[in-house]
Amino acid sequence: MIEQTTPRIFTGSLRDERTAALLGVALGVTFGVCFVTGVLSHLIQDPPSWFQWPSRPAGLYRVTQGVHVATGLASIPLLLAKLWVVYPKLFAWPPFRSVAHLVERLAIFPLVAGGVFELFTGLADTHIWYPWPFNFRAAHYWVAWITIGALVVHIGAKWAATRAALFAGDASATAPPPTEHTSAFDRRTFMTAVFAAAGAVTLFTVGQTVAPLRKLAFLAPRRPDSGPQGFPVNRTAATAGVVDAAHSPDYRLRVEGKVHRKLAFTREELLAMPQHEATLSISCVEGWSTTQRWRGVRVRDLLTHAGSASDAEVRVDSLQRRRAYRSSDLNRWHAHDPDTLLALQVNGEPLDLDHGYPVRLIGPNRPGVMQTKWVTRLVVR
Amino acid sequence: MSPPRYGSSFWIALPIGAAVMVFGAIGLIGDLGVGGGVEVGGWLVGADVAHDFVLAPLACLVGAAVARALPRWCRAPTQAALVTSGVLLIVVFPALRGFGRDQVPDNPSVQPLDYTTATLTALALVWAAAGVWLLARLATAGRGRRRPRTRATPGGHPMSQR
Repeated sequence: MIEQTTPRIFTGSLRDERTAALLGVALGVTFGVCFVTGVLSHLIQDPPSWFQWPSRPAGLYRVTQGVHVATGLASIPLLLAKLWVVYPKLFAWPPFRSVAHLVERLAIFPLVAGGVFELFTGLADTHIWYPWPFNFRAAHYWVAWITIGALVVHIGAKWAATRAALFAGDASATAPPPTEHTSAFDRRTFMTAVFAAAGAVTLFTVGQTVAPLRKLAFLAPRRPDSGPQGFPVNRTAATAGVVDAAHSPDYRLRVEGKVHRKLAFTREELLAMPQHEATLSISCVEGWSTTQRWRGVRVRDLLTHAGSASDAEVRVDSLQRRRAYRSSDLNRWHAHDPDTLLALQVNGEPLDLDHGYPVRLIGPNRPGVMQTKWVTRLVVR
Repeated sequence: MSPPRYGSSFWIALPIGAAVMVFGAIGLIGDLGVGGGVEVGGWLVGADVAHDFVLAPLACLVGAAVARALPRWCRAPTQAALVTSGVLLIVVFPALRGFGRDQVPDNPSVQPLDYTTATLTALALVWAAAGVWLLARLATAGRGRRRPRTRATPGGHPMSQR
């Protein structure tokens, strides 16, 4: 067997199997959570035929996506610490000692590159910052699969070593503790620092979705209480190019498609219909959420008026003409949920133009990008 | 370094993981085209290089410099506070530079805070916590020295271990 050595410049006693194993297990958990919640969010936004996302419990998506973003942010110190611990191995010589070892090391490239890529693109997306030329959602989603595949290979390669390192007992516990009060980083201190960093990141950002902690969200790109009418906006009416159409006297909400009667309403006619109130969240894919009191017309009442089937599905179209998210789908659960509204008011005021005036969709358990604003048409299917 | 051994777990995980990676690569090219796939590939290489040859050497240099410059008794809290500060700066740097906000000038609900003040406040809290930790260590160490030592330390006084 060929011996492999790492450069002698790396002398730290922390760079051992046990520290690497502990951080590896932590990262396995956080990347697993991010992957599952991320795939779920993708399925909800782009459902295949076998997937139907329910409208209840109303706050479920708020939790899964809040967990996705918070776990991703907390993974930043974990990944950096893990890479710091194993960094000398990058320069090990000779680079591989067997075919299996070569394969294992090659799979580390998509793991490290994918891990850094996912955390960086995810962080930038929470700031609505897109410094790359490609579509964020497609790249973040598919690179997640590549990263998780590489992680599966890595776990397979390190399974025995990790078990040995974790269950063989703490080697440092048997070493003499010569300078226990005056020593620099021992493993426990190092791990404490890493998890303290993860905790600090969480504490200073998670208030963007956990309302009681919002005052501590110093470093969050969004605050649930900041924006027109006291809550945030993702895309303004001016950016969407709907300012004139939203104020036009020709504005109508139309109900079309598989209906007995085509309907068209002005905003005043909608206000004259029976109004329903619901307290619902906008839960953005970027990890912030805000809960408000909405008032408007039930979608299912409009469907009843139009004489559509009781299991009808609906496409909701915006006045917006270009770009993604100008329409969203209501599956049969969402279309008929008593709290799925075409909202005209929020907290007793008419909707702000940036919140979707004259009419916006708001329903339980939906990603924010699917709470379509400036609604002009329901197409029943 | 002991030679790695590859048990059945590796040979089971390898085809599964490889299939998942291929699925991801095919999906990526299916959604973004070959050109988009190459662009993402470039960013993947860039992410790896940025970590391995910029961020990691920088962290090692700073760590080594701190270890040399500071006396042993205050190293751990200082290094822990440095680690936390660095991570917080990574998380907040787009907001500090206004990246993202500059792409939506008409939307003040994006990055609504004064992030210079916010970052300084967060860092002040981190370093205050490190200070409390340091004082607690000093207090414990002081008590330890006054008591008779129960365990003989090779080399006599702890400080001589430097």
